Amino acid sequence: MTSSDAQLPLLRIASLTKRFGGFTALDNVSVDISPGERFGLIGPNGSGKTTLINCISGAFRTEAGTVLFRDEDITPLQPHMRTRRGIARSFQIPRPFRSMTVAENLMVALDFAAGEHVSVAQRHDAMMDILTQMGLASKANVSATQLSQVELRKMELARALATHPKLLISDEAMAGLSSSEVDEVLDLLMSLASRDITIIMIEHIMQAVMRFSDRVMCLDAGKIIAIGTPSEVMGNQRVQEAYLGT
Amino acid sequence: MDLLLDAVVIGVLLGCFYGAVSIGLSVSFGLLDVPHVAHPAFLVLASYGVYIINEHYGIDPLVAGLLITPLFFVLGLVAYRLYYETFEKRGTDAGVRGIAFFFGVAFIIEVLIIMQFGVDQRSVTATYIGKSWRIADMRIPYRMLVAFAVAAALTIVLTLYLSRTFMGRAIRAVAQDQEALRLMGVNPIKVKQWAFGIATAVLGIAGALLIIVAPVEPTLDRAYIGRTFCVVVMAGLGSMSGTIVAAIILGVAESIVLTSFGASWAPAISFAMLLGVLAVRPQGLFGRRS
Repeated sequence: MTSSDAQLPLLRIASLTKRFGGFTALDNVSVDISPGERFGLIGPNGSGKTTLINCISGAFRTEAGTVLFRDEDITPLQPHMRTRRGIARSFQIPRPFRSMTVAENLMVALDFAAGEHVSVAQRHDAMMDILTQMGLASKANVSATQLSQVELRKMELARALATHPKLLISDEAMAGLSSSEVDEVLDLLMSLASRDITIIMIEHIMQAVMRFSDRVMCLDAGKIIAIGTPSEVMGNQRVQEAYLGT
Repeated sequence: MDLLLDAVVIGVLLGCFYGAVSIGLSVSFGLLDVPHVAHPAFLVLASYGVYIINEHYGIDPLVAGLLITPLFFVLGLVAYRLYYETFEKRGTDAGVRGIAFFFGVAFIIEVLIIMQFGVDQRSVTATYIGKSWRIADMRIPYRMLVAFAVAAALTIVLTLYLSRTFMGRAIRAVAQDQEALRLMGVNPIKVKQWAFGIATAVLGIAGALLIIVAPVEPTLDRAYIGRTFCVVVMAGLGSMSGTIVAAIILGVAESIVLTSFGASWAPAISFAMLLGVLAVRPQGLFGRRS
């Protein structure tokens, strides 16, 4: 592992196992993620990437193992409690609240993250602040149904940001985008990372993962087959086999 | 021609009344997907609550309706929690079993009312009941105008609540994507429970209208299952203003059929329209979601 071992990890996944019936989707996975780290998660389809983040965000219960976040065992917590602890995720396929404007979509998250003691005006400012960061300020009062694909991805990230995350899990935020759009989203994620948000990025677009990540982990059939710097992982024999087939 | 105009005017007012008694269901079934067939039974229960207060203290039925709304809010919270813990939580066929649950609840309410009040009709007294407003050749009962005003007020209040408030936004969000809402740090079950409380609280006022418009009896809820579900489905699940428009369409249709073919046909209208809507435009006139 890298030199970040000295630090207390932000997220510690210890011996995590998840089964669906007789199928083992995650097999004894352990990894530490440090505060501020840009962590790339790769692997072929069905390798367990999304299962792993579902276990982190709380959508799935696990059979064995623990998830520690900031030194607290969050394994028994429901997803919304984990969000309140500071874990946010965006969906692979954007899931906006369609009957609402972009602003309202964010307000749903902000209302609860901010709590009742924050005034409406302050919440509105916070919302515009996030939209500006995401380059969506001009779309605030547009219905979520009228956004383009890349704008929807940005809104997913904006909504996640509205919960004040310490850890942001980006699930294929760039799939299906053009290369200039990929760069746009990548720049946004970079700028979030530079502001002390730890990011786990799941991505099929290799150049994006390699450019973004401090460290990359490759899963195959629910097991970690490689972990290290982007170039180490790309050079790994088993990773190449997993991707190209043997 | 005059007869038709009469029928339309009365139909619009009747429709507003149907809207007022359906709008709670528009939240519970329309937004929350709870197959709340006990909604009309709760409605009749509210009418009896209003009856007791009016009978004992001589308080105006609408005020009485307002007085019982907090009680009905709590009743809604409890009912949803019970439904959630025993049915919804268990998964996919919750809808079908949920219908059985709420039918059971409806029958229990009917029986409780019969045990307490017997099967006789009950009514309330107020200055505006029994009098009419004469305009041209028409006579419009004041009680129907009250229904009109209350329906308008309920629609406006609920629409504003859902669009402007903290909880209202969360309710609309939970109707669309419960899991996405959860990831924003919100417990969707609590939001749904609250919304169900609101949907039930509204029945306090709606129950007052029911007994203002006509006397009630314990099994009156059965006549309203078809009507309320017809209105909510026709509206397109979850639209408040759509609920009133759909209710007016039903009211006018019932009223016209009543004047042209006789009263015995009226109850069939709602089910016929419900089936028609489901066949032709299942997303309703003002469909929710995409």
